[in-house]
Amino acid sequence: MEPEIRQDLTDAHNRAWDRLGRPGTWLTAEERVYIASETRSARYCSACTERKNALSPETEVGPHSNGSPLKSGWVDTIHRITTDADRLTKRWFYSVVPSILTVEQYVETVGVIAETIAVDRFHSAMGMVLRELPTPKPGQPSHETVPSAYLSDAWVPTVKPHELGKNDPAAAFEMYTGRGSAHIHQALSLVPASVSGFFDLDDAMYLPDALLRRFDIETRAISHSQIELLAARVSALNRCLY
Amino acid sequence: MPFGQVLLAYADAAVAETPDLALRRQTVADTLGQAAMVDASAVIAIFQAVVKIADATGIPLEDQKAEISADFREELGINTYKLE
Repeated sequence: MEPEIRQDLTDAHNRAWDRLGRPGTWLTAEERVYIASETRSARYCSACTERKNALSPETEVGPHSNGSPLKSGWVDTIHRITTDADRLTKRWFYSVVPSILTVEQYVETVGVIAETIAVDRFHSAMGMVLRELPTPKPGQPSHETVPSAYLSDAWVPTVKPHELGKNDPAAAFEMYTGRGSAHIHQALSLVPASVSGFFDLDDAMYLPDALLRRFDIETRAISHSQIELLAARVSALNRCLY
Repeated sequence: MPFGQVLLAYADAAVAETPDLALRRQTVADTLGQAAMVDASAVIAIFQAVVKIADATGIPLEDQKAEISADFREELGINTYKLE
């Protein structure tokens, strides 16, 4: 018998899958679905396994196990982020941007990878079959820019909430509404839809920002302490400094 | 922490996708309940995603967090996670 999954969680996953199949800010719906497909392929890619086990992430490995028509550099980028993210470097980033992807395409790619992993790894942990990838919907990316975003401490341009101005789109203000402004919130801020999308999932799968420090209010079947124990463990297993 | 080891064992199995995943999942369900198992699964999954965002965009640790964690980051060897 399948366990009962709270409705807000299923709804968040449904919204994520709907977003995945729609044109994004810089990527077509088709490209977004291909990225999700490659994110899945990367988990069982022998070249990625070989590289992950190698002393250096620059080790030459065979071709990736992939099935999408995305250009090879893009596929490698997706596979590296998915399987070897803790060894990514600024130097590697500059080998991808701008020669393989624009920085905007890169940020949106990271967002799609993250949302795909979140939904897929939930299903895998639960022993459930992965959701079928959506059929891409027609239409063009919006190409909505965030003029106030700039390069500071991260590899990609970001913008803090108080730095947004009258030339920035409504979506940029919305991505910070009711949310914190920690670096993890700013990371994808060059593409506001990616921030809003990921943190919509985060609200349902982790906790809404407003409840993060409300230790007097428990809204999950596990406590704040238990949640943070899991979060810390998974982060450590992934060797994520942040 | 109540049932900490049970939760950690589940997280380890889910991240590494080891053959005992189903057993670890069922142990969580048996000891904390089905709803807790679902919530634990969700936290494990979202954090497998959020680390990709952090690592792929090169965001630094906030100054305040760096300051308060300086001693135990060094002690735990966490600083070795970061590459330049």
